[in-house]
Amino acid sequence: MILSRKAKEAIKTALAMTIAYGIALSMDWDRPYWAGFAVAFVSQATVGLSVNRAALRMLGTVLAAIVALSLIAGFAQDRWLFILSMLPFVCFCCYMMGGPKYQYFWQVSGFVVIIVCFDSGPDPVNAFDTAVLRVQETGLGILVYSLVALFIWPVHSRSQFETVARDLAATQHQLFAAYRSLMSGEEGKAKEASQIRAQQAQQQARFGQLLNAAISDSYEVRELQQPWRQYQGSVQKLATVMERWHDSFAETRTMDLTRLLPGLPAYLDEIDHRLEQIGLMLAGEAPQRRPGPVELTLDSKATGILSHFDRAAIAVLYRRMQALEDITRAAFDALSGIRGYGQAPPIAGPARPRPRFLPDPDRLACVARFLTIVLAAYLAFIYVEGWPGGAGFVGMAGALGMALVNAPQLPISKIYAPVTVSALSAGVLYIFVMPQLATFLGLGALIFAVTLVICYSFAEPQQMLGRAFGLALFVVIASISNEQTYNFLGFATTVMMFAVMIPMLALTVYFPISWRPERVFLRQLRRFFRSCDVLISTVDRPGGGSINRRDRWRKAFHLQEVATLPNKLGTWAPRIDPAALADATPEDVRNLVAGLGELSLRMQAMVEASKPVKSEALVQALEGDMRSWSASVQGAFQHLSDNPAAATAITFRARLTEIMDGLEQRIEDVLDRSSENQMGPTGAETFYSLLGAYRGVSEALVSYAGLTERINWDAWREERF
Amino acid sequence: MIGPVPHEYAIGGVYLPPMLVAAVLGLIAVLVTVRLLNRFRWSRYFAYPPLVFVSLIVIYTVFTGTFIIGA
Repeated sequence: MILSRKAKEAIKTALAMTIAYGIALSMDWDRPYWAGFAVAFVSQATVGLSVNRAALRMLGTVLAAIVALSLIAGFAQDRWLFILSMLPFVCFCCYMMGGPKYQYFWQVSGFVVIIVCFDSGPDPVNAFDTAVLRVQETGLGILVYSLVALFIWPVHSRSQFETVARDLAATQHQLFAAYRSLMSGEEGKAKEASQIRAQQAQQQARFGQLLNAAISDSYEVRELQQPWRQYQGSVQKLATVMERWHDSFAETRTMDLTRLLPGLPAYLDEIDHRLEQIGLMLAGEAPQRRPGPVELTLDSKATGILSHFDRAAIAVLYRRMQALEDITRAAFDALSGIRGYGQAPPIAGPARPRPRFLPDPDRLACVARFLTIVLAAYLAFIYVEGWPGGAGFVGMAGALGMALVNAPQLPISKIYAPVTVSALSAGVLYIFVMPQLATFLGLGALIFAVTLVICYSFAEPQQMLGRAFGLALFVVIASISNEQTYNFLGFATTVMMFAVMIPMLALTVYFPISWRPERVFLRQLRRFFRSCDVLISTVDRPGGGSINRRDRWRKAFHLQEVATLPNKLGTWAPRIDPAALADATPEDVRNLVAGLGELSLRMQAMVEASKPVKSEALVQALEGDMRSWSASVQGAFQHLSDNPAAATAITFRARLTEIMDGLEQRIEDVLDRSSENQMGPTGAETFYSLLGAYRGVSEALVSYAGLTERINWDAWREERF
Repeated sequence: MIGPVPHEYAIGGVYLPPMLVAAVLGLIAVLVTVRLLNRFRWSRYFAYPPLVFVSLIVIYTVFTGTFIIGA
């Protein structure tokens, strides 16, 4: 009989859980379910993923134990001092948990501090024992699962990593082909390109996860860790550069590109070949050819007869295509070095760390929600006599609260069914089956069977919540220990604790900040336009290098907002209540988010283009006009940040078009009166980049105004619970 | 007028404090109320619904505790 992968994974977790319980009970350790928890939550699809998660859980638990013991040593005498000294660390963990690195480490650190503090705080004499017990049982669970995963049907990450790397390269090749078609005017490819882009984003995230996992469990990948990281960087940059290249098509749509860029067909063929060769190398074959020279030039004669705005647009396109050439060559070289088909490029030094701390308002809102959960649980525990669960209620609320704020988009209603089914099933086992068991043989078989059924039934990634609740409620309700007692009150208290806790968690959807998807969407939309407004105000500042440190920080913060908010809006858009959409369709909302993504890219391009410090003579001559353009666009952004519906008015669109036409005319006049030689070669490039960026922002804004018309913003803005 | 006498509630041998029962009933009543307010679009007349939500919980809990449960 051949077992499915799902069955094998379920058997491994069930076996690890049984062994962990067996060891903990034979050592006569109190609360063996902590070892069971560790097994349940570190089990992942491959050895590498599990080992990474296990390491983060272990380190998080150790840090939490140290912090919790320090807090108990210093502040256990006063309950308010105790909670106030604990909250800053827990809130810090909650904030860090939303960051790009070590999310699980911070999550574990945060909730384990609460669990240890509330387990030991009321009984400080045994605090050290409790903290050490938590650490050793977590270590036991991790060790047992790691050994089981290594010796029984081991699944190393390397093959999955190689598959994802191949898929990602194929997707990027397809995306390039789709953009090439779009560039040549095949508008029908736009929808296909959008789907491929979404697929690329998912594969990029998976590539990063599996690379980390493969480094942990595969010697071949670990040996080439640096070159693989370099290739990962090239792939990420390639995705960005292709987006920017695609972003230039709107302005160059009407131009005869093959005449303006004489080497264009050869250039596109060359990039296509490079991406094809990358795919071949990832499939284990030798490349049939190496990257050749590319001769893509701007025909000065043909561009000379274009309007200045068109000249700016073609200059921007040309620059982005050069960047595409560079990055495909770098990706090819990095991979050929890894596969041994060529000299590996020198490894770049470590990336410069982020120079300053830039807060993320969404992560701060998550902290506020988490703080509300913990404080509400604490106040209930202190002031309501006989509150179910007692101090354990606060610990459980902290752990669940951490998980909840980590995925704020997830509707709380999704946990009702798993909790109810798990609690009732665990109750039946606890009341009717467990009292019949007398030896570990029977108990072990029960633990194995229950874990197997839960892990097999909830094996898919989207069923993780059901699996986590199923296992957690089983180990909590069964309360397996060497001196096993059976008490209906214990079961009823645990059920009551969850029955009270879940409405409390549901309450935080409304208070203190509303987490209804349409409210979050509107908040983020306002922030996006406010940040655009601030960025526009910084761009037209003469002598940009002389701004002070506070202004530079502010600019970096708003740039981060503009760069990240479209993705965040994209995650909330599918969750919006259909009733709030009124006549609009989910497709309209997706288009709106795509429009914001385009505006975001153009704002970033504009900030980049405005970096040169010293204005050239011609730029100085047009400074007044550009300032008036900035003021007009800034006004538009201010309107939009106050009211996203402002863009629906026809007059608003007309005004933007009028501003753009007026600016174009004035620039044409000034440039026609001046000689282009005044600018010099670098000056011309700077000027056209800036002009292209200005035009790009205007076009994206007008296009956004068109997209908002189908949305009934009044329904979204209406106050609702 | 004498209200109900405060007493604990026993469910399957589990004794629950009256305030807890009042709070749970208050919460259920609030969830029904806000659903109705949303359904008939009356919630748009509130400046800050989350605060109204919490205020309603307090009002319903005190009302239930005083006149029905006896907390």
